[in-house]
Amino acid sequence: MPLDENEKERLVAKARQIREKIVIITEKCGGSHIGGSLSQTDILVALYYKYLKVDPKNPQWEARDRFVLSKGHGGIGHAAILGDLQFFPEDQLLDFNKTGSPFGMHLDHLKVPGVDASTGSLGHGLGIAIGMAIAARLQNLSWHTYCVIGDGECNEGSIWEAAMAASHYRVTNLTVFVDRNKMCIDGPTEEIMALEPFAEKWRAFGWNVLDIDGHDFDQVGDAIAESHREDLRPTVIICQTTKGRGVDFMENQKEWHYAGLDSEMAAKAIESVRRS
Amino acid sequence: MDRDELVSRIFLRSALPLIKDLAEEQPLYKKLFPKKGVIQLQADDNEGVAAQILFEEGEISVRPGKHEKPDLTLCFRTTAMLNSFFAGKTLLPKIRGLAKIHLLFRVLPLLLGVKILLPNALPEDAKKRALKVKLLLFMITNALSQLNKGGDEEFLKTTENSPDRIFQWTVKDGPAAFLRMKAGKTKAGRGTYTRRRPFVHMIFPDIDSAFMVLTSQAPLVEAVRLGYVVTEGAMEGSKEMGYHMQRVEELTGAYA
Amino acid sequence: MAARETSKGLTWTIADADHMTQAEIYGEVLTQLGEKNEKIVALTADLAGSTKIGRFEQRFPERFFNLGIAENNMFSLASGMSAAGMLPVVSTFAVFASLRSAEFVRTDICYQNRNVKIIGTHSGTSFGQAGTTHHCTEDLGVMRTFANMTVIAPADSFETAKAVVAALETEGPVYIRIGRSFEPPLHQDLDFDFEIGRAITLHEGTDLTVIVSGRPAVSALEAAEIAERNKISMRVVNMHTVKPIDEEAIMKAVTETRRIITVEDHNVYGGLGSAVAEVIAKNGKACALRSLGLNDEYSIVGYPDDLLNYYKLDADGILEAMQELLTAEIEEDEDWEDEY
Repeated sequence: MPLDENEKERLVAKARQIREKIVIITEKCGGSHIGGSLSQTDILVALYYKYLKVDPKNPQWEARDRFVLSKGHGGIGHAAILGDLQFFPEDQLLDFNKTGSPFGMHLDHLKVPGVDASTGSLGHGLGIAIGMAIAARLQNLSWHTYCVIGDGECNEGSIWEAAMAASHYRVTNLTVFVDRNKMCIDGPTEEIMALEPFAEKWRAFGWNVLDIDGHDFDQVGDAIAESHREDLRPTVIICQTTKGRGVDFMENQKEWHYAGLDSEMAAKAIESVRRS
Repeated sequence: MDRDELVSRIFLRSALPLIKDLAEEQPLYKKLFPKKGVIQLQADDNEGVAAQILFEEGEISVRPGKHEKPDLTLCFRTTAMLNSFFAGKTLLPKIRGLAKIHLLFRVLPLLLGVKILLPNALPEDAKKRALKVKLLLFMITNALSQLNKGGDEEFLKTTENSPDRIFQWTVKDGPAAFLRMKAGKTKAGRGTYTRRRPFVHMIFPDIDSAFMVLTSQAPLVEAVRLGYVVTEGAMEGSKEMGYHMQRVEELTGAYA
Repeated sequence: MAARETSKGLTWTIADADHMTQAEIYGEVLTQLGEKNEKIVALTADLAGSTKIGRFEQRFPERFFNLGIAENNMFSLASGMSAAGMLPVVSTFAVFASLRSAEFVRTDICYQNRNVKIIGTHSGTSFGQAGTTHHCTEDLGVMRTFANMTVIAPADSFETAKAVVAALETEGPVYIRIGRSFEPPLHQDLDFDFEIGRAITLHEGTDLTVIVSGRPAVSALEAAEIAERNKISMRVVNMHTVKPIDEEAIMKAVTETRRIITVEDHNVYGGLGSAVAEVIAKNGKACALRSLGLNDEYSIVGYPDDLLNYYKLDADGILEAMQELLTAEIEEDEDWEDEY
């Protein structure tokens, strides 16, 4: 589904808005996984504002598409979107991380409307998403399952167990995105535990592999379309992204995996986002 | 311990102390009590066979053994004679301390009251029956404990290697008594033992049923059949205990 | 062989049940239930043959998923399937379900409160010759500490059948741990009440109580019968549900018998013994407790029945513990003075 110019502009503007909200909430709550939330934003915005079939007024809608953020530490970025769409009163986000708040570093599906699975411990969400997709097929339901995994997360063996299973069971009603921001906590992925040749690994596991710029809405849209067309193998879209995207002083800096912002830095960050 | 001494334990430690209970039933008796005094009963052929009836502040109590300075002493020439006295034979002990004979007169009605425990005392009166049943329950459980503490060989076979067990006798809506035994030790108790479920529980539906069984008017086997008693728990255990209850009766009855 | 309808609509004969192993009965039951409920799906990790869930596979190949030797992902998958409306029953060896995949069970299933049933087979030392790497003497302890998890250790194949049915009728995560091969039956047939959380008194008694979970239940009953011949009155309580545990049954044993032996094919730490001790201590009533199990050790290799004997979990072992316990002192009530 190629985007027309207006749609693309809308999404770009929305992405800026979401990034701004992420900065604001981070400042308010004392710290967050801001780097990874910023890198995934465009993927999530594309899904939630264009491709994902969900109803904010009815989060449990049986026929909805499922979305699993396997890299659960991106929760603040996910919550910002859910709040913006009014899955819950947006101002609740100002209590992020506070005692008793439904929002913490990793979102709880039993507490936050719009969240389909509680993730956080890496290596679980992909399997969960595959389970959902298989269940849909068994029940002849047409909704689709989307899953975003982290690249560092692909160190986990269970990701590859899941990859093997999805291929074996030909789970094609599933679209997986890898937020390939090339960083994990201790540094660049290739220095810590190298993933390359990455695309080849997925291919070897029998997946249909697409490699795109994760910040380009046209490419994201085209990739999703191709995934839906593919009916033999599950599809993984490797999204080349930048950790901390949108805030110049955060980009590619491992320190911003998890950090806080004072008001001065927050202001600078917002300024940077607006310019991006 | 020989037979005489063993049975004397039953009379002195299980039966005699019941005068306290009798006194509680008949407050009029208590009015006769002296403020202070000690009456001692003893057998002259055995130092260990003795008991004291103590009066203090108008209250009565019974203790085993000899007192330092009894006011009045009732001496029986032999242990067997002491046993016969308690078994109902008309025997007169030698009395020392005649100066204090008034003590005896004050306690005589009570002592005569103990005759209610004798096998041939079968009152028709409901209150008297209830009293006898209560006293018998206390006496029998205590007597069984005396069998053990007195080293009765037969009974020791039961108590020696026993796990912690409770034998409970209960009259529905009435008095109760128990015998606890464990690894050679026994304890007779009044009321219901609450800390564990009884190993054997003999339940009498009412005073009359208890009366029939405890006065041996109905042997245990018959009693169960006729509904005078319901036994819960180990069948063999209850049979064994029934056997020992009978032995108490035989041992004491032999002196009548 | 003629089939027989039981009250739950399960159709096999007593003769079948007699020689079906625990795992086979479970596979059979599952298949029967699968007929009635199309939401039931079965998952295994290359152990369809060993865990006998393969029976289900034959009947419903499209609802059966073998994930290969990849247990962790299997539990994530089950979570996802449950989230999307299916009723997954997952089976693998107890050691893998409870230890290797502990985090997946806890985070994907228990934390998210998914309606997933887990059958851990070859639990305890029932895998005999396979040795420690395939034994599991920790699963009761581990699963007990997962909030939302119900933990059941059925005594025999009949109880397993009942447990599976009960589990599928309960909402939420359930873990059932069973043995492997030809464990002797405890019950004669399916004609007994089974309720999750309600212990079954197999034998009445007042001298002491043996509380048992799982395959040693048969041994406990045997011990009670021998004890009875030796004039000891032993109560036997089958605590098939370890969580939620039947507190009432335990406290009755405490107040009515004051002496308790727990028996489990499990480490003495963390499982039934610990669960019972928790209840006793909480209620503060005097009681002497002996816990039989593996004494914080890894098991030796051996035939499963020999191992029960080696670890003193059979009738002999129970009777030995009983001898010691019956003369043990308990605080309080050492007053042996006759009452007047």
